[in-house]
Amino acid sequence: MATHEATAPPEVGATVPLEVRIGFAHACLQWVADRCGADLLHVKGAALDPTLVPGRGFSDADVLARPEHVRMLLDELRHHGWELINSFAYGSSFEHSATLRHSDFGLLDLHRIYPGTGPTPELAFDTLWSEHTTTVLGGVECAVPARDAQAALLLLHAARGGSDPKAAHDVEWVWTSADETRRARILEWVDRLDAGLGFSVITGTLDDHRDDPAYDLWRVASRGGTRMEEWRARVRAARGLRAKLTVASRSVLVNVEHLTIVRGRPVSRAEIVAEFFGRPARGLREQVSRRARGRRR
Amino acid sequence: MSAAYRPGPDAGVTVSDDGMSVYVARLPGGPLVVLDGAAALIWAEATTAPATGWVARVAELVGQPEEAIAADVTAFVADLSARELLVPLGADSDARPGA
Repeated sequence: MATHEATAPPEVGATVPLEVRIGFAHACLQWVADRCGADLLHVKGAALDPTLVPGRGFSDADVLARPEHVRMLLDELRHHGWELINSFAYGSSFEHSATLRHSDFGLLDLHRIYPGTGPTPELAFDTLWSEHTTTVLGGVECAVPARDAQAALLLLHAARGGSDPKAAHDVEWVWTSADETRRARILEWVDRLDAGLGFSVITGTLDDHRDDPAYDLWRVASRGGTRMEEWRARVRAARGLRAKLTVASRSVLVNVEHLTIVRGRPVSRAEIVAEFFGRPARGLREQVSRRARGRRR
Repeated sequence: MSAAYRPGPDAGVTVSDDGMSVYVARLPGGPLVVLDGAAALIWAEATTAPATGWVARVAELVGQPEEAIAADVTAFVADLSARELLVPLGADSDARPGA
């Protein structure tokens, strides 16, 4: 009888489509959340309402957890075969998600914040949770935001996508081709989620927000920038002197987690030292070459 | 009218678009089991109402006499049940192969 476990052998693992594994990652998360009493919303990817962007591909599972439940979820997930491979601080400029990996279910991004939403992570989650619905993923009923809220979240994600063709495709489907009624429903969610700054990237009005401390974060995310500009934006967006100093100190530390993934093995002390000195140097090189390009224009 | 079996309470299930593969994950930690071909057909019929005559339906689908496949089918669903991926439903007499 043709039954086999798709765990270890790569040749067998290859027979399980990626979208199936990711569906099970969502199912696993919901299973864990249900049993430990955590609230979470499955966002983007497999969880996206298929009528928003038909045929949209995905390569990992994204979930947004109620901020106060994140620690509990991380602890639970470690007991069920999930390995933390990138923590929040080093995930992105927005420090919004941690990445975990499971040998059967693939990659998971656990979000504690959805970039661009507010006014606080807690209130943003409450707003999304208040009208959540469900969809079946991997055979398990999973909580997802309301359809129009999903559209707003997808556009906020696209706003950070820079020149990524997938982001442009999402904007075309969800916003550019939408009629006034549909746009109004999306804008209502943008308003409820206090997402005006991030969404201004979509409407081409970002520069109206130059005075916002997070303006540079969105400018760099949407238009590109050097690593140094990115860190400067992170420091500017951090609230309070203590937070700013913490971010600034991280900018010169080596992300050992990331380095481990890149190398595919635990990194040695020598490699960490090399990376420590290499990163600022790379930042400087990028800054210099960018200025040189600017002068040539 | 119910099926002979249902997925276990901690089983996640995904069926391929062509119905020829069934992916079953033991939640939350795995493993992930792949049922291909005849195994997928057995899963589909075992979990589809009515329970009565489900093995006969499998036999018809694979073009074999019911008595020729019943023992293998029984062993197969017993294995899935032992893994808690399948749970017998309701009237067990209906769920038995050949019923």
